[in-house]
Amino acid sequence: MTRLWASLLACLVFALAGCGQTKPASKGTIGFSAMTLTNPFFQTIADSMRSEAAQHGYELIVVSAERDVKQQADHVNEFIVKGVQAIVLNPCDSQSIGPAIAQANAAGIPVFTNDVKYDGTEGKVVCHVATDNYQGGKLAGEAIVAWLGSSGGKVAILHFPQAESCQLRVKGFLEIIDANNSQAGNNPIRVVQTLDGGGMRDEGFKAAKDAIEANPDLSALFAINDPSALGARAALESAGKADQVVIIAFDGQLIGKQAIRDGKILCDPIQFPDQIGRVTIEQMIKHFDGDRVESEILIPSKLYYRADAEHDPDFNTP
Amino acid sequence: MRDYGMLLVLLVLASFLSLVTIQYQHPAGEKAGSEVADSILTSQGKQARVLIVARDTAEDFAFSTAVAKRLEAFGATVLATVNGSALDARQAIEEILARGEQIDAIASNGVTARWTVYDRFATVGSQKCVVPRPYAWPDFLKTSNLLGVANQTAIYAIIAIGMTMVIVTSGIDLSVGSLVALASVLSAIIIRDWGGGSDASIGMVLLGSVAAIGSCALIGAFSGLMVTTFAIPAFIVTLGVMMMASGFSFRLAEGRSIPELPTSFFWLGRGQTGGIPHPVLLMLILYAIAHIVMSRTVFGRYVYAIGGNASAARLSGVPVKTILVCVYALCGALAGLGGVVLTSQLSAGDPKFGLMYELEVIASVVVGGTSLTGGRGTIFGTLVGAFMIAVIKNGMNLTAVDPFNQKIVLGAVLTLAVLLDTVRRSDRDSST
Repeated sequence: MTRLWASLLACLVFALAGCGQTKPASKGTIGFSAMTLTNPFFQTIADSMRSEAAQHGYELIVVSAERDVKQQADHVNEFIVKGVQAIVLNPCDSQSIGPAIAQANAAGIPVFTNDVKYDGTEGKVVCHVATDNYQGGKLAGEAIVAWLGSSGGKVAILHFPQAESCQLRVKGFLEIIDANNSQAGNNPIRVVQTLDGGGMRDEGFKAAKDAIEANPDLSALFAINDPSALGARAALESAGKADQVVIIAFDGQLIGKQAIRDGKILCDPIQFPDQIGRVTIEQMIKHFDGDRVESEILIPSKLYYRADAEHDPDFNTP
Repeated sequence: MRDYGMLLVLLVLASFLSLVTIQYQHPAGEKAGSEVADSILTSQGKQARVLIVARDTAEDFAFSTAVAKRLEAFGATVLATVNGSALDARQAIEEILARGEQIDAIASNGVTARWTVYDRFATVGSQKCVVPRPYAWPDFLKTSNLLGVANQTAIYAIIAIGMTMVIVTSGIDLSVGSLVALASVLSAIIIRDWGGGSDASIGMVLLGSVAAIGSCALIGAFSGLMVTTFAIPAFIVTLGVMMMASGFSFRLAEGRSIPELPTSFFWLGRGQTGGIPHPVLLMLILYAIAHIVMSRTVFGRYVYAIGGNASAARLSGVPVKTILVCVYALCGALAGLGGVVLTSQLSAGDPKFGLMYELEVIASVVVGGTSLTGGRGTIFGTLVGAFMIAVIKNGMNLTAVDPFNQKIVLGAVLTLAVLLDTVRRSDRDSST
């Protein structure tokens, strides 16, 4: 039994020593607590932050809160103990992360956020960097209008109303649809259903099945991200409606881009996680350089069609 | 004896982490300030013209005041004192240079010396920064870290008390994570809707907390009744309750977090007494009580008896059903308490809280030496188990272990702990 405890300890010592002490970089370390690293979007943000930070002589420590805001608050605590130069967060919750941010403020460590914005008043964030979701939603609306033209049609939305980013996407989308409908001579594009697709493949599948059941003459569908769009596509295929209903999604993750290349999704307003990461570090450098930093920087989205996929280096490299 | 061995492992682990997290620490505060002033006076003489740069924290204010006091006492000139960000430092330097004055030295600390702002000015440069002499000390052994670890563990450890009792009766409760979320949402909603949100009185705060904990106790009792009356396996009953409670809390909160809470509510989760955070105090008190209950009372003996052999316990007059319902209700109540503490700590009620806590808590209990087949295990062991997991996690974060590797290590620790339990059981069986 003693031997077992010894082996348990040896395993730990091995694991910790293997990855243990790295030499501190010249200008210090930056702590990044990601919302989750199982989503490639956040992994890309982390990677681009790491390389940008390294170029300026900083070392980036990445930890993953796995959507648990308590764990993220614990991470902030540990960053303070380590005495990092700056903290970057994707808040797991736009409210409850407040006390942790306030704690970092009290320790004199500047906090930056990206993707999800901190909404509370308790703590102070130097700068927030994210995709311009409102503008992206407008792009999606324009893509639908361009596709349906003046003939109009019925549209369904696969929403994820819990996320503020998705609320902005749908808001921009609806504004373009309304503007189109108010123009004389256009047959209206009617949003017949707004369902919660959970932002996930399985829930998107179920929601789209219900949508097509209720509206057999549906002509387009706007999904707030790629996984729920792909779930919807599967539902349309099984209902034999894949050619009738065009799908517009959001994000431009690799799976989404592949679907666009294969003609399963018409187009995506895409996000640029690499830019989000890079810009965050740039703002931090500016901050330490004594420059004034904008409190919010929005990175515009761009429509990505099949023609873009054909020239995309993501697919051409083996 | 077993607990003693585990404590030893924990101590070895802690000393190992102390070794690998040794870092150069930069002193701060008043003493560091005097030291920096002295070294400037020695290197630059008494005519030195000095800029002081520190941040706007309490510690840094003490630092900059001490530097200024010492320098001026010896006749040196303090050009300006900055307590703020790099931007403030830049403006101060620009002002000094515009006056045509020269900066001989910058009194700074370990953090402000690393700012890149000084290199913007050809006549300044970061080589003019004078910092207090760093000393080596493990990050792990800093008071703030040790208290932080205890504070991080407190909620898991509190829930683990109830879980230990449930597992000792050879049951399991998978619903604790969802009950944390439910208690969080319930207490926040009661305080918001009936108490008036951030203006709520202390009475309403208490009512909200007690109502939330009480509801969780009732739900726990429901699980217990299902297990005893209908003989449904605890795994299935609590799995169902887990989903229902989670869905219900999302429904109640409409998927959002509820930040409208009064500051009096934060006393429990964020307050301190004598430098010790309240969740840690609460944890210690509850463990002391639970230890006495489990080792010195009839109730405790009954719980062990049921876990050892339920039929034998019933035949010898133990009220098995009542005790089981009580144990599950207690586990639910403690999960509810955990939820209230968490809400207070993070200053919002949130249905997303408590995600996967059941696994974290069960892991603490099992690592702490409680047998999943029931009848064996101690409250003290669970506390050690909870700390073992917390210390490993903290150590891996401090040494910047990759997040995916962290999962592998934690999984391995849990597997080894169960292996240990199995081996120990077969030892016992072969010896009888």
